[in-house]
Amino acid sequence: MSLTRRNFIQMVPASAAALALTSGSTAKAAEPIHHVTVLGGGFAGCTIAKYIRMWSDGEIAVTLIEPRANHVSCVMSNLILNKRLKTADLTFEYNDLQLKYGVNVVRDKALKIRGPQKQIRLKNAGWISYDSLVVATGIQFDKIPGLNYKNAPHAWIAGGSTNKLRNLINKMPDTGTFVMTVPKTPYRCPPGPYERACVVADILGRRSGYLDGSGSTPPRVIVLDANPGIQAEKSTFTSAFNDLYGGIIEYIPDAQVESVESDDPNSLVVHTTQGSFGGDVINVIPTHGAQSILRRSGLTGESRWADVDPVTYATTNTLFQDVYVIGDAQGTSQPKSGHMANAQAKICADSIIRTVHGQSSYTEERLQNITTNSACFSPITYDKASWLTAVYSYNPDTGSMALVPGSLGEAHNWSTRNFNDMFDWSNNLFADTFK
Amino acid sequence: MSSFSTGLSSKLAIISAIVILPLNSAMAEDPTVNRMIASQCAQCHGTNGYARGSFPDLGGDEAKDQADHLLDMKGEDRAEDMMDHQALGYTDDQIRRIAQYYSTLPESGDD
Repeated sequence: MSLTRRNFIQMVPASAAALALTSGSTAKAAEPIHHVTVLGGGFAGCTIAKYIRMWSDGEIAVTLIEPRANHVSCVMSNLILNKRLKTADLTFEYNDLQLKYGVNVVRDKALKIRGPQKQIRLKNAGWISYDSLVVATGIQFDKIPGLNYKNAPHAWIAGGSTNKLRNLINKMPDTGTFVMTVPKTPYRCPPGPYERACVVADILGRRSGYLDGSGSTPPRVIVLDANPGIQAEKSTFTSAFNDLYGGIIEYIPDAQVESVESDDPNSLVVHTTQGSFGGDVINVIPTHGAQSILRRSGLTGESRWADVDPVTYATTNTLFQDVYVIGDAQGTSQPKSGHMANAQAKICADSIIRTVHGQSSYTEERLQNITTNSACFSPITYDKASWLTAVYSYNPDTGSMALVPGSLGEAHNWSTRNFNDMFDWSNNLFADTFK
Repeated sequence: MSSFSTGLSSKLAIISAIVILPLNSAMAEDPTVNRMIASQCAQCHGTNGYARGSFPDLGGDEAKDQADHLLDMKGEDRAEDMMDHQALGYTDDQIRRIAQYYSTLPESGDD
């Protein structure tokens, strides 16, 4: 959808109201009292767009700006590698947001934010003004010398890259070597890389016959972790690496990637602080930070992520009024995940609605009840999974979100029941976000 | 001076009583705060508590039953299930608020 600056501004409130009218929703048809612009159509952006429309009863217009036609979920995407799922199963269109909730979805790419002027620059529509702006643009990878994604796909922003990695694994020798890296924290989906190591070890271990004893030569899965140890579900993954996939997975901590050789698909090497590792397939997940639009606009300061107040998710940069950052791009200590992005979006939605209505987000009652939670399941084998969960609560003394003691837990073992629950969990998360 | 101090203390006491009283009363609860806390259940239990699959629906349950259920999970000697850990993440008052919120919603929705 291409829009000039003038017709973009003119059409947004009217379009949102019209869609709400035709949807049969409970949204009010009256002229919106405020207009929220959301950048990014992933878990954070879609959840806040939906919940602002729903909770404001249509009083607040929402425009969601996203360069892609749909969103491919990273959540569950390791199951594309072992063909339990297809990309289509994890692809979400924006139709429900538009038709059920009256969100105005515009396909465009935001390039710059000017805080003092309350304007954003879009690739197609040019400079646009906003009342409130929510930035939910996810992550951007650091550049690594020699890394060619064509031959070494990251599969950490799901989509074509995930399919490419699946195809490469499919073609590699049954007893070949798969080399993967874990980025320095904080990174998207703390258990994800270790989960991937298990999924790939399972694929190759079955294919080679090593896991059922019909083959004597093990495939190799080398996990190069930039961190000093396993970052999530430590008990589960330590057990899986050492016992279930002992002889297949080799875990090497403190291995920071320095460069990669990947221009020749027949000569793939990862050079790290712990040595060089060649593989039939290499999967380098680079260290990442917030998207460059935040850095270019001055929202990240010295940090790689946007500093925000978790009471509202407003940026702490006072040059930017009514600008909020949620999801992976924000810099609180909460884990970066789709589930958590959804959780933060609801706190932010509540705060924006309060602000529009002239109510404070800092009442004692609200401050005592700001919580977010994280829950996720990790496939360990073709049909067994583990889980991890935690609850975070606002600490007024420190002004930050803190893990609630006792709430952090992980599964005692991987099981078929967990594997089945994983689909119920993800289907509910997808529905709460996109539908 | 002494008299002035006493008088001020008395006035402050009265003001405090006026300010604090509504906070101690369930009547004064901000319903949007309850909604905000309760929405954190929706990632697994569906928007407005209308769950897909085998996870339980939350909408329309009796508030006391649901609160008691969560408090039982919180009180487990050893947290085993994911929900035991989740329940440990909330104060008793937050659990009561969550249960109260979902009790006001219909039993089923179209989500």
